[in-house]
Parts: sequence; structure tokens; C-alpha cells
Amino acid sequence: MIAKTKYIPDGKKALKELPILHYLDADFVYYPVTSARCPEGETCVRGGQFVKVGEVVGTRKGAFFEQPMHATVSGEVVGYEKHIDNSGKVVDCLIVKNDFKYELHESISERTDAEIDALTKADYIQIVKDAGLVGLGGSAFPTYIKLETEDPIEVVIANGVECEPNLIADYSLMMNNPKEVIMGLIYAMKASGAKKGVIALKKKYKEIEERFKFALKEFTQYDIEVKTVGNFYPQGWELAMIKNALGIKIPQGELLSKYGVLNFNVSTLQSIYNAVKKRLPVLERLFTISGDGIHNKNFRARIGTLVTDLIELAGGYKQEETPKVLVLGGPMMGTNIMRDDVVMTHTTTSLIIMNNAPQKEEPCVHCASCVYSCPVEIQPVQIMNAYKVKDKDALKALEVSKCIECGLCSFVCPSKIHLTEYMRLGKRLAK
Amino acid sequence: MQAIKQTSPYIRKTVTTSRMMTDVLIALIPVVAFAIYRFGFDAIIRILVSLVVMIGLEAVAFGMMQKPKASEKFMERLKSRYEKYSINNVIVPAISAIIFAMIIPSKLPIYAVVVGASFGIIVAKMLFGGLGSNIFNVAAAGRVFIGLALTDMFSGKYVDVDLIAGGTALTTLKSGLLFPQALNSYSILDLFVGNVPGSMGEISALAILIGLAYLLIRRSADYRVVLSAVITFSVLILLVGLKLYPDQALSYLGYHLFAGGLMFGVVYMITDPVTSPVTRPGRWIYGLLIGVLVVLIRLFGAYPEGVAFALLFSNMFVPLIDYPKWSTNKVKPLFVVGYILVLAVFGLVVFFGVGGAV
Repeated sequence: MIAKTKYIPDGKKALKELPILHYLDADFVYYPVTSARCPEGETCVRGGQFVKVGEVVGTRKGAFFEQPMHATVSGEVVGYEKHIDNSGKVVDCLIVKNDFKYELHESISERTDAEIDALTKADYIQIVKDAGLVGLGGSAFPTYIKLETEDPIEVVIANGVECEPNLIADYSLMMNNPKEVIMGLIYAMKASGAKKGVIALKKKYKEIEERFKFALKEFTQYDIEVKTVGNFYPQGWELAMIKNALGIKIPQGELLSKYGVLNFNVSTLQSIYNAVKKRLPVLERLFTISGDGIHNKNFRARIGTLVTDLIELAGGYKQEETPKVLVLGGPMMGTNIMRDDVVMTHTTTSLIIMNNAPQKEEPCVHCASCVYSCPVEIQPVQIMNAYKVKDKDALKALEVSKCIECGLCSFVCPSKIHLTEYMRLGKRLAK
Repeated sequence: MQAIKQTSPYIRKTVTTSRMMTDVLIALIPVVAFAIYRFGFDAIIRILVSLVVMIGLEAVAFGMMQKPKASEKFMERLKSRYEKYSINNVIVPAISAIIFAMIIPSKLPIYAVVVGASFGIIVAKMLFGGLGSNIFNVAAAGRVFIGLALTDMFSGKYVDVDLIAGGTALTTLKSGLLFPQALNSYSILDLFVGNVPGSMGEISALAILIGLAYLLIRRSADYRVVLSAVITFSVLILLVGLKLYPDQALSYLGYHLFAGGLMFGVVYMITDPVTSPVTRPGRWIYGLLIGVLVVLIRLFGAYPEGVAFALLFSNMFVPLIDYPKWSTNKVKPLFVVGYILVLAVFGLVVFFGVGGAV
């Protein structure tokens, strides 16, 4: 197919129809002390200490920010164990033994509307910072840093596109709690001083559009609009989404705030709502287990739950003897992991387990499908050839650093060449 | 459970290279069928010879290019050479073979067919590294090689057989006959349907257009090269027609479009992705280059035909078009302006270049 490919089979329909199992009562929950963005961390609790829901149990330290971690159950701190976090790395995890009472910490109480109205920009930032909120779309970028911007913000945009196949966390959130997303958006608008809010959705999600429009009738005093964008991949990439929803073309590498735009994932907005209104950190998330190598299930699970438990509950693997590929996240950009004892963190929403089906690589026939499909308009095939001869100048001239690793080039290649991997190698070489 | 290490993305599209190549084979069916209908056994035997030579030689060369495993037994060593041999090593030379057979005259001696096919597959393809690495179109290289090495067989002086063994309707123009009279010999309709002498596959524009439609519907060929070459060719020839035969400019254009190998070359040969540039503007430029060269060769060259030459010549410019410093997939205003400007310049060249009769 010598043409631009925009649509990829998303496999969401079958997953949406699966019931959501509530599994909020794990015996032990685990909190990684470090994460991909925060290479250091420390805990502030001792073994045997009793913690309550929402209590700070430690701090993760990144290059320019700190992030508190909160207990999501009440119970006793037992010790440490090594597990995998959502970047596939083995990390130390703090273990809390669940006492199934879910006692809330003293600091947690609902704010009244009057209190919320009195909040200033600095207050909002402090609340978001204390709740340890991060970009729940997958970036895990600290939310308060986005809000802290000095630039005048005109529009806050809620990204509900979720273009990766097999992910339904945002969909189910928007379906069930559109009001919380809208409230979160309003708080984000207040915090940043923006006058306008936009909710970006896929065109085919008519049902969600209806829900938002209905829910928005309660909030007519705010200028919030629902905008639909195309169904294609990678529409959820913020620059593509902003271009189609707002018509603002932002060059790569520029900060959104310079153009008066702030972008949040809908789940992040819900977490802002919870933090502002209920003083709660993120406690639970929807977790989907999909793929042809496992019994597919949706779960509502507490942050800190071990995914091994969920796999067992789902009914375990299919065809145990065939080798499997384990993917955290979506099938286009997700992280490959080698073990299944992953700890659920804020950004873990999906585990895909596929039976291994090796693809036979054929020689490149220069059909240019990868060039036509590339969303950042670089030329994967030429970058591959330049990488093969280790030509740094050519790699720089071909702007390999622009690559967002969306995976489309590998996906469309009729010769099944793993171009995305060459892009990563090329980026490393060109540095 | 055994976990496998992979990197994202983990899913792939179902389209394969062999599907794209099979599409080209399917698209060639109408042309082949028409050739067999017109030339009967002559066509069949030349197609078969060309197929056997190309597929066979590719297989032999492929084996020689692989490193065998160290083993005592000859058969095992031989087998290890063919571990990577795939369906594409059959389909792709088959396409080249059929295209090659379609651009030679029906009475061409068999040994000339063998020589041309061998040259194409060995020199133009396997010596460059096989599938995906060749810079010249295989069929065109083979055709040009025998065209130059065995000129007499194509020029019409080949007395033993048919006088017009290699002649196409265009030869009539070259041999001094003026254009309006040429239409008396072959009407535009004859040219379109294929009721004229010429190389086996080139004569029926109708069959070729059916193939083109299939290729474009299946998206197995890029319309940009086709469109760009046809637009360039038509604009330039129309200008010449307006100057030389103001009353019959359109039939002059039709005559040039449907006579000779232009249609066949544009649909089946220049769409070969392996020897095309890889960007959108690049493909437009490539088509422009081919269109201009065909016109220049037809009007000012010694040959009545020029598609194969133009194609090989343009193939040489592909690395230049794709040079990383300036190649881009964005269609920039500068490119659009440049394209129109180049077209205009060559329009002036041909308009003032064709002085008297062609």
C-alpha cells in the first residue's frame, strides 16, 4: 500500500463490552520508591508503622521536582521487595499490609464550594503538588509544573482522544464520570487563568459527545466546548490534537504554554478534581488485560496492586507453552516487560499479552509507505539507510530527533522492517 | 511462560510486499492477454523464455550471494544458501520478466530475448545486491542493452522477418512521414485499442489503462509519478502540436500519447517503487524528469522511442533527488513554483526548438 496510513485496528469495541471487575482489596500493596522520572526516592515510614489512606509514605525525587507518594490502603508497613515498575525496571517497593478498613487520613476532608472559590493560583499549585499528581495519559510529567507557567493561558484542553489501540481507561472514565472531568477542567482553568476550556474527543465517540454536552448544561457559566477530532492514529499526540481541535499549529519542541494552551489528559483532570474537591490523591485506576495470549478482563484496581494477582483473577494465560510478548500500555508505544510482577502505578492502565508471532523481514522496496505515514514528516527509510552506514550528518539533516516513536513506520512497512527501532538507534547515534 | 523481548510497536499491518508485487502481476494480465491475442504463440514463447531466464538466473545469483554453512555434504551447503529465499525472489523477477517481454517486438529472435533478460537480471539487479538494491529498472536496462547491441533487429531493416518487426506507429513519424498523413495509416482509435504494429505489450492503451485502474485502486502504485509524467508529457507535446499543426493539436497529442511505449512505461515501469524516490515531491520531480526526457528524445533524438532511455536516465537522478540535505516529504511552495517553472522552461525549449517538420 503506497499511501498514507492513518487508521489502525483498535480492538476497543470488544474490550468496552467486557464487564469491569472491582478488585480493590489486595492483601498487600506495593509502592515503588523510584520511578522513570525520579531516579531517587526515600520513604518516611518505619516497618510496623500504621498508615492510613492518603497518608504520605515517602518522596520520589526527580531532577527538578519532588513527588510525594501516598498510601492507598490503611494498614501496616511490612518492608521492601523488588518488583517491576511501569518502565520495566526492577525497583524497590514499599509494602503495606492491607487491614481492609480503609481508614482515611486526618488531612482528607471535602472542601466546600466557598473554600474552593477562595483558592488562588498558588493554592491550586500547592494542592496539585501535595497530591503528587502526574500526567495520567502516560507521560507521568508532574502536573503542577504545567500549572506553574508564567505565560498567559487562554485555553485549557482536555485530551480524551486515547488513540492507542486496546486502551479504554479514558473512554470508560468519560462514559461514567463526565462531570468529574468537567469539574477538573474548570479547576484547571481557574488555576491557570484560562477563559476557555475545550474537550477533545474522537469523532466516532458520539455517545461520549452526547454525555459531555448533557453534563455541560450544568456549567453554562463557563466557556467550555466539546470538539471532535479524527479517528486516526496518532491523533492523541498533543500537537496533532491541538492542531485539529483548536487550529493552532505548534512547532515541535516548543512549550504549549507559549501559545496560550495547556493540555491535560481527561484522567489527569479527574485527579485534579479529586485533589481539589476531596483532598484525595489518585487511589485507583481502570486496568485492562488484553491480547490473544490471555483471558481478557477489565479491572478497577488500587494503585499499588500487583498485576500478577489481576492476571490470576482474569483466568491466567492461554496456551501457556507458546512464548509471549508482554506489553505495558498500548500496542504501538507500550513498554515491553520480561516479567509479569508489575506494580500498578498512576500511569499503568493496560497490560497486553500476545502470543509471539515473529515477522519475517524482507528487503526494503522503497515503497515509501513509512515516509507518507510519518506524522512528523521525516523519512524513516532514509534514516534507516543513513544509520546502517553510520552517517551522523545525514541523520541530522534528516531530522531524526523529531521522531516521536509513534511506531507507525514499523506498523505500515509491507516488508515488516522494524523502522521504529532504527529511529531510536539513529537518535542515539546522532546525539 | 516464556517472555520474549521486543520493542514497540508490537502490531503490524497485514499488507505485505508480496501482496503489492502480486498486484502488479495481476495488473499485467490484460496486457499479456492482449499480446497473446494479437501475436499468439510468438508472444507466449517470448514471455516464457523471459520468465525462465529471469527467475532462474535470480535464483542462481541469489544462491551465489549467500554465505553457506560449513558442511561436508554438498546438498547441505546448497540448502543453507537458500534459507532466505522467499516468494519475493520469484514474484519480483517474474514482474520484470513479463514487463521485459512486453516491450520487445514479437518477432525478436529468442537468443536476443535471452541476452536481454540475462543482462537485466544479472547486471542491472543482482550485481547491485538483488531485490530492493537495484538503481536501474531491470526490464528497461535489458531492453536498452539489446536495443543498442542488436540495433538492426529494431530499426526496421531486419529483412528476414517482418519489415516492421521493431517499428511502432511512431517510426512512421521518424521516417519522414508528416503527421497528418500518419493518421491515415493509424487512426487514434486504432492506437487506443491496439490495432497497430509495435512491441507486444505497448500497443493497446485500453489494456494498459485497465491495469492502471487496478494498480491505483489497490494502491500498489503511486499515482504521483504517473500523473506527473503524463501531465508533463501532455503539456509539452500539446505545445508542439499547437505550433506545428494548430488545427490538429489534440489529435497530435493523442497520437503521441497512445503510439509507442509511453503508456506502458508510465503505468508499469516508472511506478516501480524500488527505483523511485521516496518522498512526495521527489516522486513528482521524478515524473517530470521522465516526461521531459521522453519528449526531448522523441522530438530531437535519433530514436523514435524514448521511454526506456528516459527511465534509466531518471533512475540515475534518484539518489540526487533523495539527497538528505534537501529531500523532504513536505510539499513546500518553493517546490510547486519550481515544478511549474521547470515545466514552463522546457515548454519554451520545445516550442522554439521544433523548427520545421519533426
